[in-house]
Amino acid sequence: MNEQYMNAAPLLQINDLCKRYPNMGSYMSVFHMNLTIPRGRIIGLLGPNGCGKTTLIKMINGLLAPTSGSVYINGMFPGAESKRVISYLPERTYLDNGMKVAQMIDYFADFYENFSKEKAYSMLESLGISPEARLKTLSKGTKEKVQLILVMSRDAQLYILDEPIAGVDPAARDYILRTIITNYNPNSTIILSTHLISDIESVLDDVIFMKNGSLMLHTSVDAIRSQHNKSVDAYFREVYAC
Amino acid sequence: MLGKLMKYEWRGLRFPIFIMMGILGAATLLTCLIILTIDPKLDNVASGFSFLSLMLSIMLYYFGVIGCTLGTMLVVAIRFYKTTYTDQGYLTHTLPVESKTLLAAKTIVSVICHLMMLTCVVVTILIIIGVGVYHIGNVSEYWDAHYWHRIFTEGFSELSESFREEYGISLGGFVAFYLVFLIISSISGIMTVLGCISLGQLYAKHRILGAIIAYFVVIGVQQFISYLAMMPTYSRMLRAEALSETMPMFEVISPTMIITLLWSVAVSVIMHLINLHMMTKRLNLE
Repeated sequence: MNEQYMNAAPLLQINDLCKRYPNMGSYMSVFHMNLTIPRGRIIGLLGPNGCGKTTLIKMINGLLAPTSGSVYINGMFPGAESKRVISYLPERTYLDNGMKVAQMIDYFADFYENFSKEKAYSMLESLGISPEARLKTLSKGTKEKVQLILVMSRDAQLYILDEPIAGVDPAARDYILRTIITNYNPNSTIILSTHLISDIESVLDDVIFMKNGSLMLHTSVDAIRSQHNKSVDAYFREVYAC
Repeated sequence: MLGKLMKYEWRGLRFPIFIMMGILGAATLLTCLIILTIDPKLDNVASGFSFLSLMLSIMLYYFGVIGCTLGTMLVVAIRFYKTTYTDQGYLTHTLPVESKTLLAAKTIVSVICHLMMLTCVVVTILIIIGVGVYHIGNVSEYWDAHYWHRIFTEGFSELSESFREEYGISLGGFVAFYLVFLIISSISGIMTVLGCISLGQLYAKHRILGAIIAYFVVIGVQQFISYLAMMPTYSRMLRAEALSETMPMFEVISPTMIITLLWSVAVSVIMHLINLHMMTKRLNLE
């Protein structure tokens, strides 16, 4: 696809997207979602458990087939080309436990042209993780850090991070957020899905609120602060009060 | 990208495959050692014991062969399931490659592993037969270059000639036909396993059970087709018997083998399409 067209098209365009799981009857996990994501933003994808955040993320990454509607990344359907420009961190560990950290780095370098081995080794060193360690010998938290290093060592256009700071201690949380910010390319966009709003609020440009599979709000953090005179965390608690 | 995918697929499969080859090698060695302990000139009682130990070792070898061929299928199936439909599938399906390339890499490497194991089985059978003939048949008494030269030239041409008379096809032609048959059956067998794992994903709550059920259903249908494929052979045999004709064996069985071959190709294509459909249109990673 020609580069001029790619830059003109929105980075991510979602049209009337729906997802119904086969074993969940008529319940729609994502319901007629429309969304346009521009370049150069850090966006918080927020909402209570089961509101459809992870389902939406999986459809963007081509891991789930939509029931109806469409997703475009750089004007393309999810596929080999879109996967070149998306760097995705799932909420679970997807690494092969039989491999060493260094082998996993080679694996990423083999498949992703935009992967920087130097960046990955430098982050491993700063976190004190041995490249020779076998993944099955690492704790869950360390594996998550390795995964984040692999994802953030790519020079991608769209980073999608699903719960990157859940399940790690506060010190690691700070490191992860620092890693995200320092490795972020201003021309790319980061979509961060989390429940821990107060921890990430300071780095966000925009927020997307989801409820029952639908888009509830898509606005800038500044707009929430100026219009409602509240932090995003406080506004979230008000909107989703039980 | 296909080459890279195949490289990592091979790395993931080679260790268990080599272990199974080692087990097969050990079973072959044990069988050969037992054959070598048999003294062909012993009296009846001692020969009886030798015969019993030989039978036991051949049974052991037989179970080794069954275990290793089924084990290869199982290893391939587990690897495919783990890397395609479990947590590791998140990495597999976010690689910048087309699903068809992904599937091709997995299928090619799995078939290569299966064929490697089948080759090992054939080689070990030949080793056991060779050791048996050499030791029990007292071949060592005729051991000279002239004898072996005669075996490999005159003996082979005599064998080939009698094979042609009996079966209606040259030995070389039959071996080539059977090799093609074996390779296509191997591809079809592997693709059936992989296709059934994908079909099992339709049962969202019991994916493994779904895959097992799908496998037995597909194998049941295949058995039925095989039964139908035997019909031309039966009919030719009955006709030959009624007319008191003698028909070369290959002429009798070739329609069945060709139908089975075509069916194997059809199964491979169907399973490939099922896999591709499931990995693109019906992908549903939990």
